[in-house]
Amino acid sequence: MLHREDWIDLARGLDWELSWATEEDVFPTAISGEPALPRAAWVSWEEPFRTSFREYVEMQAEKEAGVRAVREAVGRLSDAQALDFSWLNGVKLHSAMLPLAEFAAVVGNLRAARFGRTSAWRNAALLGALDECRHAQIPLLVMHDLVKWDRQFDWTHRLLHTNCWVAIAGRHLVDEMLLLADPIEFAIATNFVFETGFTNLQFVGLTALSDQVGDHLFRSMLTSIQTDEARHAQIGPPVLAVIAQHDPARAQRLLDKWFWRSWHLFAIVTGFAIDYLSPVDKRAFSFKEFMHEWVIGQYRGSLREFGLKEPWYWDEFVRSLDHYHHMVYASAYTYRATVWFDFALPGPDERQWLAEKYPASWHQYDGIWQRIAERWQATDPGVDFGVHGTSIVGFCHLCQIVLCCGTPERNDAVAIEHDGKPYIFCSEPCRWIFEQEPERYAGHRDLVKRVLAGEAPGNLVEMLTQYCGLTYETWGKDARAGSYPWMKRPPTPRRPGAGA
Amino acid sequence: MVPLYGFLEGDTLGLLVLAHDGMSLRELADRLRSAAIVRVEVTGDVVVMVRGEAADESLTVAEAGLRALDRFDVRRAPASAQGLA
Repeated sequence: MLHREDWIDLARGLDWELSWATEEDVFPTAISGEPALPRAAWVSWEEPFRTSFREYVEMQAEKEAGVRAVREAVGRLSDAQALDFSWLNGVKLHSAMLPLAEFAAVVGNLRAARFGRTSAWRNAALLGALDECRHAQIPLLVMHDLVKWDRQFDWTHRLLHTNCWVAIAGRHLVDEMLLLADPIEFAIATNFVFETGFTNLQFVGLTALSDQVGDHLFRSMLTSIQTDEARHAQIGPPVLAVIAQHDPARAQRLLDKWFWRSWHLFAIVTGFAIDYLSPVDKRAFSFKEFMHEWVIGQYRGSLREFGLKEPWYWDEFVRSLDHYHHMVYASAYTYRATVWFDFALPGPDERQWLAEKYPASWHQYDGIWQRIAERWQATDPGVDFGVHGTSIVGFCHLCQIVLCCGTPERNDAVAIEHDGKPYIFCSEPCRWIFEQEPERYAGHRDLVKRVLAGEAPGNLVEMLTQYCGLTYETWGKDARAGSYPWMKRPPTPRRPGAGA
Repeated sequence: MVPLYGFLEGDTLGLLVLAHDGMSLRELADRLRSAAIVRVEVTGDVVVMVRGEAADESLTVAEAGLRALDRFDVRRAPASAQGLA
């Protein structure tokens, strides 16, 4: 029997010599992606870690057994109920963003498994598709166990089937990046930027945090997923290397587009979890520190490796580390009924921690939280709508997220007219992405335009229940019903004539 | 009705404000302040900015040239900078 080293190169490199069909027939540019390069351009494509199908199956079986064992050991309802309340809501947020997006990534990987330009890439993408099936299934299985206790966990499956604004934003990103992108754009957007740049490292950071808070099942789930991500993310760099060599302008444009789009989603999912939805005494680092340590240095180094530059908006991105997730969290807290998880109100200890971690910017947010706390003190516990926005909020036409870029002192939103129609963007990079391909994005209606067109109700409660798929039981509330040990309410005045 | 995107200095997001052509910019600013009050309270004098320029508060929405889905900003007047809660 041949040794692995003797056959692995042959097995992963079975590219056919075409005789009666052309390269364009087999790999149409419209599906395989631009630039349309001759086959010779791809022969040097090489993934750093080669995996055979047999190795893959053995490895995955071990990982499955690992998750199963942890689930059996610490997957009881009582284990989840013992976790910190704020952390559980970070889990709800994170879990809902995962499975259907991962399922969409199956499609992107399978497209690459057919239309990627080399056999080795196609093989790696096929294993990537199998990975993504697991990543859809594991959170669905793990969180399903919790639905009978807390219906908000049902949104692990439900989110992307609804018209909740986070779902609209999520679909806008996922549909383009995972379902529609050609294999070249998919590899750069998903494997290089999203996975290598962000989520692979996010899993490392959240794994450490889940260990700190004692959520061993979530840690096991993340670790199992992260090791898959680390393997299939390796598709990105060799694809980028080819595109950077032959069409560096396109490579740069794709990187700049997807870094910004990925950043927004990442800042919400991970920024919320690290800086707000975890117990303050368990936090080992702030979101900004995490970004500097794990994302920024690594990403810049990768760009230099390929002779590419930082995105043109890099300074704006670095500035936003002090602001963006704080802007969105405060906004979302005061519109918490529009999502499917509960929010923790940062108390004095949390605010002190945030002030130390964000010395340049926290003073712009502290007053907002002070005001919210005071409104709760003047409101009966549990009366969420006493401390809740009622106006319709604006959404970016590109990322579909609320208009939260910039700072409280100066919001970065940009209003423009295109073909005689008004559009608003949360930031210059979102406007730039739109203007690169207006025909792709112009027709999409954000939530405001759906309301104005009569497709969605303008009344908040009607919108939540009739359009977003939320109910009183599932919509987001203050996680402590606005009643925290540190909060001192004025004594309730006794009604005249009331008994003792 | 004229839907407009309003941005109040000190707030964390842009809000949709439903105005009408005959409404003054002062009334428009009050409507935005009221919509944002759960997060921020701006007391004292304010300046309404239209297309980056301070506008006369007595102008109507139509006179200020605001059209559907335009942006306007409400900023603290320099003299009342301490009025931001």
